[in-house]
Amino acid sequence: MTKGVILFANNNDEIDYVRQAIFCAKHIKKHLNLPVSLITDSEKHLQTKYSHLIDIFDKVISAEKIQVYQRKTFRDGRQVSKKLQWNNFNRSDAYNLTPYDETIVMDTDYIVGNDLLLNCFKLNDDFMIWKDSLYINPYGKPWEIRYVSDTSIEMYWATVFYFKKNKKMETFFELLKYIKENWNYYRWIYQISGRNFRNDFAFSIAIHIMNGFESSTHWPTNPPGSLYYIFDRDLVEDFKDDEFTFLCTLPNDNSNYSVATTKDLNVHVMNKIGLEQLIERQGI
Amino acid sequence: MDDRLKKALEFSNYMVTYNNQKRILKQKFLDQNVHYANGSKFKINREFITFINLLLQKGQTKDVTIIDDNDNPAQILDFAKFVDDVMNIYAKNVNHYYTQLHKIKKRDIKDVLGR
Repeated sequence: MTKGVILFANNNDEIDYVRQAIFCAKHIKKHLNLPVSLITDSEKHLQTKYSHLIDIFDKVISAEKIQVYQRKTFRDGRQVSKKLQWNNFNRSDAYNLTPYDETIVMDTDYIVGNDLLLNCFKLNDDFMIWKDSLYINPYGKPWEIRYVSDTSIEMYWATVFYFKKNKKMETFFELLKYIKENWNYYRWIYQISGRNFRNDFAFSIAIHIMNGFESSTHWPTNPPGSLYYIFDRDLVEDFKDDEFTFLCTLPNDNSNYSVATTKDLNVHVMNKIGLEQLIERQGI
Repeated sequence: MDDRLKKALEFSNYMVTYNNQKRILKQKFLDQNVHYANGSKFKINREFITFINLLLQKGQTKDVTIIDDNDNPAQILDFAKFVDDVMNIYAKNVNHYYTQLHKIKKRDIKDVLGR
C-alpha cells in the first residue's frame, strides 16, 4: 500500500500558493517523512520561479486552469483586507488525482510540527476528517465554527483529511462532485447564506448524506491529534524551531492583541497574507 | 485610571495569556496520550489505565477483547505488552506535561509564553 500527502496549489493575483506548498512540504518531510505530491494549475510558475526546490515533491500533477469568478476577503489582522480570487474547486478530484492508496490531503497553510498524523496509517478507518477544532485565540469563543450555519448541520474541516482508496470513498468523492455541480441547490437546502463554494461545507453535506442524513455518527472519525487554527483576523508574529507566535485579535478592541505561542503543534494558519510574509522572511 | 483598577487589569491580561497557554498544553497532552494498536485507537486516561490493569491482575494476558474509541471491539493478542505500552506512553506524556506546565507557572508573561 502506497502512502503519501497531496497538496493543492492554485495561485491567485496576490497569494503564491505554490510557495506556500513548498514551505508546507518542507515541514511534512521533516516531521512525517512522507512523499508529497503537488496538484497545481500553476506548474509553469513552479518551474520558472522555484526550479531549485521542485525536488521536494514526489510528483507534480498538472491541473487544468479554470476561470474562477468567486472572490473572498483575505485579511491580515484587523487593519488589512483584500478581495481576491478564490479557486478551491479541485479538492473533490483528490480521489482520482492522488498517486497513493492511502492519502493525507492538506491545505498549504497547514503547518506540520509533529508526527501525530503518521498514526492515520495505523488505523483501520477509511476516512478521517476533523469535526472538532481548537481556536488558539483565547477570546475566540464567539468566532468558533461548529456548524455550517446557525440552523444547519455540524461542520467538518476539509483542511486536512485522510482516506483509503475503496468503493465507499470513490462514491463519497463522486457525491462531492455532484454537490459542487449543484451548489446553489445544496446551499439552499442546508441553509448556507454565502454564495461561495466552500469545501468544508461540501464535505459536511456529503458526510451528512452518506450517513443517511444523520449527525454525530461514527463515520468519519477525527484524525490523530487536534485541529489548531488561527483566523485571518489574527496576526502571525514569528515562527522559529517549530514554535509559532501569534497576536490574537481581541473583541471590540482594534488596537491591542493577546499573544499566544504553540510549540511542536500542527497549526492551520488561515491568515494567508501573514503566512506569505513569514515565508518571505524565511527566505523561500 | 485608578491604580487599583490598572493593576487588576494587568493581572487579568496575564491570567488570560496563562490560561490560554495552559489550555493549549493540556490539549497537546491529550493529543499525545493515545495508543494506536491493532488498527484501533485508545485514549489513555485514569479510567482506561485502571480497567486494563484490572484485567491483567485477573490473569488476562493473551487474546483479550476490549472496546476501542469508536466503540468497536478489538482483540489484543499480547495484552501484557499492550498494558506496558499504555503505561509507558502515559508516564512519558504526563511528565512532559508537568515540565511544560511548570515552565509557564512563572509570573513573568514572557515565561508564560516560553520565550
